[in-house]
Amino acid sequence: MARVIRQRPMNWVERLYIFEAIRGLWTTLKHAARGLFRYEELPTISYPEGQPEVRRTYRAKHRLMLRADGTPRCVACGMCAAACPAHCIYIEATASDDPRIEKKVKRFDIDHLTCVFCGLCVEACPVDALRMDTKEIIFEHRTRDEFVANLQTLTSWNPKDYPDDAQSQVAPGGTKNAEARKVWGMEVKN
Amino acid sequence: MDIIESKTWVEWVITIAKFGFCFVPVLYILLLIPMERRGAGFMQDRQGPNRSYIKVPFFGKVRLFGYVQNMCDGTKLFFKEMFAPKGSKKFLYYVAPAIPFAIVFLSPCVIPWFGPMVFEWGDKVVRIAGPILDSEVGILLLFGFSSLSAYGAVLAGLSSRSKYSYLGSLRTTAMTISYEVCQGLSMMGLLVLAGSFSLTDIVSWQEHHVWGIVAQPVAFFCFLIATIAETGRAPFDVAEGEPELVAGYHTEYGAMQFGLFYMGEYSHICISSLLVATLFLGGYSVPFVTTETIQTHMGGSLAILCWVLAFFALAFLHMIYRYSRKLRASAQANKMEILQEYKLYKGVAWIATLVLIGAGVASWLYYNPEYSMVNGVVVNSLGAALGTALIHLLVLLVKSVFFCWVWIWVRWTLPRFRYDHIMHLGWKIILNIAILNLVVTAVVAKLMGGN
Repeated sequence: MARVIRQRPMNWVERLYIFEAIRGLWTTLKHAARGLFRYEELPTISYPEGQPEVRRTYRAKHRLMLRADGTPRCVACGMCAAACPAHCIYIEATASDDPRIEKKVKRFDIDHLTCVFCGLCVEACPVDALRMDTKEIIFEHRTRDEFVANLQTLTSWNPKDYPDDAQSQVAPGGTKNAEARKVWGMEVKN
Repeated sequence: MDIIESKTWVEWVITIAKFGFCFVPVLYILLLIPMERRGAGFMQDRQGPNRSYIKVPFFGKVRLFGYVQNMCDGTKLFFKEMFAPKGSKKFLYYVAPAIPFAIVFLSPCVIPWFGPMVFEWGDKVVRIAGPILDSEVGILLLFGFSSLSAYGAVLAGLSSRSKYSYLGSLRTTAMTISYEVCQGLSMMGLLVLAGSFSLTDIVSWQEHHVWGIVAQPVAFFCFLIATIAETGRAPFDVAEGEPELVAGYHTEYGAMQFGLFYMGEYSHICISSLLVATLFLGGYSVPFVTTETIQTHMGGSLAILCWVLAFFALAFLHMIYRYSRKLRASAQANKMEILQEYKLYKGVAWIATLVLIGAGVASWLYYNPEYSMVNGVVVNSLGAALGTALIHLLVLLVKSVFFCWVWIWVRWTLPRFRYDHIMHLGWKIILNIAILNLVVTAVVAKLMGGN
């Protein structure tokens, strides 16, 4: 539906321009004075040295969640690849060693040059294996191939970086790892 | 020989030394470029250029508040290749950028930098005028020079064989000429009051009556707008309007040829702001204090000057310390480097503060030169005369730097006017206001029984 925005006609003070110009000058003066006298309050971040604060909910670089034994939680169903509008996910499945699980991933590639960071893959995942909460927003590499994140890079995250997330603590090295192994039915080593 | 013997050697030394004031606009360029770039940054909530640095042994990367960036840019312009487009008129093409820059060295000669220096030398009383050239028609000379700088733009546009340059130079010509009329007429009211074309007389009139901005507020606004238009900067920069003319008259220029246009623009701002300060803000005169008071209380005046500067140094230190505290608490990766750099500024500012306070106290207590009154003019020693001149010069510089800031401020606030709007404003509004102001001023001055 088209919406008509009626503009208020300018009154004679505004049409004189000079007073409105002075009002504009006052605005810029305030900003300039803040920059000069309160330099630390500028909203600008001096970028490579100072990093912006990124929220967990920000759709950053992907990661694959891990089971208690350290294998990726991914069951290679291909839902994420199907949901991806940019066709940047490539999955190869293979038979799982665990009799309770049918398939596991042999290859899981996400091409970050093609990825549009829409987050549909995360929504599509039936086992909550794929997440985009790494807060990593810098993608800089020398070659095009390095922009493709493989299984190794996607699973190499540290549970200590996600202290509030119980699911991440299940992974090896996490606080809930031992408990999860017991539930999963595995011998707890050491 | 008679000419040489007509003056004592001190007079000659000071008269020749005054030619140093020709370089003031060049110094202003060095000040204005960082002021513009960082000022623009602050107005847009950016930080402005601040990354380039010089490595200094103990302090690490010294950035001088982003000043190094401008040095780098200048160096880059110097070492770039100069070229002329095919079919351009080579001689005019190369001469054009030099014209506005050469005018820079001529224009400051009529501006009174300090009040007339009167001091005793041997058994003689020596009097030295403020401007380099104490002309009876100083202001007309200044207008002549500043009009000449339009030739740079005109020749650049004609000779570079580019349609954009040509259109840009046409616009510059039209705008400069039409706003010069407004400029001249709006200033006339003040000349009627002061009764002289000499800038020295205008300043001394303001010193003994009121400042021009109080006597002629309307003229002040008209003059300011016309002068901003004449320098060809935003909001009046149609001559180099990027959306339609690429870069206007200097489209075809690169390297230091462009740099000369760029610096010519800044020095034009410098001259214009000095002119506005001289005409409407009392020039070198200190507010609320007459020159005689300063000269009779030389020590105290110098002390106050030192303490004001010390106050600024302390305020600077306060800001630096506050920022360092905030930085130390932040997670910025290079904060230790920056804090190391700030040690330099802190050291310099602390030394400056102590020296200035000390100098203030010393001059307050121990510097009370003798003086005598001759025909109502204070005559004292050379030192006291130089001190007065120094205070006058600083006051004038502060006033004109404020107006330079106005130029930058206006540029980064107001959007560009359309070309016909500019002509409308110039010919139909400002010109009429200026004429009206002149008539009213003349009638009132006559009725009040002035000159």
